Amino acid sequence: MSQNDSAREKRRKKFSEKYLGIVILLLLVLTFWAVFKILTPANFGTPSKLASYLQSCLIYAVGGCGLYFIVVMGLWDFSIGANVVLSSILACYFSQKFGYAGLIIAPIVCGTLIGLLNGIVYIKLHIPSLIVTVGLSLIYESLSVFATQGSEQVLSSSYRAFGQYPGCLILALLAFLFAAFLLNYTKIGTYTYAIGSNEYVAKNMGVNVNKYKVIAFVLGGFFIGLMSILTISYGTSMTAASSMSSMSKNFMPMMGVFVGLAFRKYNKPITAIVIGEFIVALLFNGFVALGAPTTIQNVVTGIALLLIVTITTKPVKGAVVK
Amino acid sequence: MNEEILRAENINKYFGINHAVNDVSISFNKGEIHGLIGENGSGKSTFVSMLTGITPIDSGKFILNGKELDVKNQVEANRNGISIIVQETGTLSGLTVAENIFLGNEDRFVKHGIKNTNAMNREAQSLLDKYGLNRINASSVIDHYNFEDRKLIEIVKATYFNPKILVVDETTTALSQSGREELYKQVKHVKKNGNTVIFISHDLTEVLKLTDRVTILRDGVLVETVKSNEVSEDDLKKLMVGRELNGKYYRTDYGEPISKDVVLAVKNVSVPNEIKNISFELHKGEILGIGGLSECGMHEVGKAVFGASFDRTGEVVLEDGTQIDSIPTAIKHSIGYVSKDRDNESLVVNDSIRDNICLPSMDKLGKNHIILNKNLSKFSNKYTKLVSVKMNNINQFVSDLSGGNKQKVALARWIGRDSNILVLDSPTRGIDVKVKADIYALMNKMKEQGKSVILISEEILELLGMCDRILAMKDGALSGEFMRDPSLTEEDFIAKMV
Repeated sequence: MSQNDSAREKRRKKFSEKYLGIVILLLLVLTFWAVFKILTPANFGTPSKLASYLQSCLIYAVGGCGLYFIVVMGLWDFSIGANVVLSSILACYFSQKFGYAGLIIAPIVCGTLIGLLNGIVYIKLHIPSLIVTVGLSLIYESLSVFATQGSEQVLSSSYRAFGQYPGCLILALLAFLFAAFLLNYTKIGTYTYAIGSNEYVAKNMGVNVNKYKVIAFVLGGFFIGLMSILTISYGTSMTAASSMSSMSKNFMPMMGVFVGLAFRKYNKPITAIVIGEFIVALLFNGFVALGAPTTIQNVVTGIALLLIVTITTKPVKGAVVK
Repeated sequence: MNEEILRAENINKYFGINHAVNDVSISFNKGEIHGLIGENGSGKSTFVSMLTGITPIDSGKFILNGKELDVKNQVEANRNGISIIVQETGTLSGLTVAENIFLGNEDRFVKHGIKNTNAMNREAQSLLDKYGLNRINASSVIDHYNFEDRKLIEIVKATYFNPKILVVDETTTALSQSGREELYKQVKHVKKNGNTVIFISHDLTEVLKLTDRVTILRDGVLVETVKSNEVSEDDLKKLMVGRELNGKYYRTDYGEPISKDVVLAVKNVSVPNEIKNISFELHKGEILGIGGLSECGMHEVGKAVFGASFDRTGEVVLEDGTQIDSIPTAIKHSIGYVSKDRDNESLVVNDSIRDNICLPSMDKLGKNHIILNKNLSKFSNKYTKLVSVKMNNINQFVSDLSGGNKQKVALARWIGRDSNILVLDSPTRGIDVKVKADIYALMNKMKEQGKSVILISEEILELLGMCDRILAMKDGALSGEFMRDPSLTEEDFIAKMV
């Protein structure tokens, strides 16, 4: 009898240790949907609208999967925007020559190379990854300008399968599965967390910290490449960026990553990233439906960014922050 | 049975100028539990972290089973049969329990780059079950478990592969009674299998109960190795703390009463995780000592008085009723503070002696907010001369000075500010006898001028020699009070602080 009880208790505990986070996130989705639905029943949250929210959320979540490896280690990548711009432009260009093969391979190669470069420069210069990626993103932006001479690149209408269902969903699901596989079934996942938790201890356990940091940037770039396929397919055109105008493209993937981080105790970070992006999409579209100006998105993004970083970094009392 | 398994030969380690481990040679036997004790900073943890590959060795070698040991990290140490349970949290958050247990050794579960997570979880769970920890899920993220459970998981991680040498570094303090019992059980189990445990602890009762032999370190030097059943706790305490007697620099006066005027009162001051409910009064012209083991909280008391503590509760009040809650208020009301951490908290080392001395007195040196270099130079020349800093000139950078002269600069700035109350935290730490004597003379002079000093020190003889009154601290609370008395001995004081 009591043994039965304790077995049940253990099962209950195991459930809460693994799935409670996802349940909370789904409840949040439901709450936000309900709130905006009540406020503006006509222009919000119909099934077709939800499908379009989901499509934009998938794009950012794919990028978020890559960024997750970097951010878990306590590093930053602010070159996502520039990476997306350059990779998308190359996708356009190569799709004209090689069709779908060009559309898929070019941005993946470009994204991954940018990730590799980010990682190598970060390791070699010994300076904060934030500065490295901001600095390099200026260069990536300039490359996009050189490549296009400033003209807008449009994806031919015959290669837009990933811009609609089911193409976008299939590609995104493959990306999510791959990210989850890396986290759960390779050493990369374990070492990513280990370095993020305590680099010193990880080193003592024989982890080649620098190598895995570069790997994180490479993976980050790879997933940004995938994100670029979805971005150009969904948006159908891309203009070169300059003077940090790509910077604002960094924040949407980051939002989901922060949700993933906040709920990582439940060991389902990829699910949390996707649901997190969906919540953000609900919020933005909810505000728009309410008639708030689109600039409000920037205000919300700014506040959310500061709040989330404050909550997720635990500063040491009296520590000097620069 | 006294067969040697591990020998340390002339091990040395320097941190900067600090000789943390000084030519230590110890022999460890097969099947023994070998205690390693000493005050904080005596080199115990540094010694074992060199053995386990966490810290590189400067010179000397470890010989395991007749072969020289060459390990660069903990995993390599593990492969050589050496494991350690560390003082701090050794588990990594974000990883599952199983990933933590097998961190660095996951290759046995990896085939063609793919990790068999299920097999790893299963094996971790069966290990946990074997240790009686079946309430812990191997596949859950470790953040779900509290500090004690995480320590128990670390015990599993350190012992499951049957190590030849197990190091337990100050682990018991983190554990409740049942956790301790589990640890003792594992420690004895290791011994029963003919292997060796190196056991570091401050709890001397525990050390004597558990160990076969005990080695005492003091200031990085090996004092003695004794058989546990031949010594008492008091013997160990004396060996740990005892320092050579050389008291000729101290005060010689005894029996002069201290003034009844209270210049500063500390009332029920607590700082989370540091000090609990500290109350005392400081009198005019008094040198008040505070002593104890390094981690007893006495250093935090100094910060609390100076308004530099975080989350402090309780009151620090001057005789006129002024509350000291922040550093600017403290300085404004003539309180000075010299930190134990000279280079990081006390001095701006990459700046000139002149600027360092003038820093807290800028308000007094300017006229209508305009500060003339001439005034600064005059001021710092005067006070460097007063405390006799050995330097080329006042424009020399503080980083060029020796430890003792740095300390003189730190003192000069507060004397220049004409502080009525001076809090000195370990002012003679790492300083040669000559400068020590100078510093004691300065303290005496302040006393004569009716100023008050709080002297926080890890050196008991210094406290006995210099103070009108000494407070003993233990585990963050006051544990005793002694008046100046020639018959007061080190042993009396040690009894209250350990």
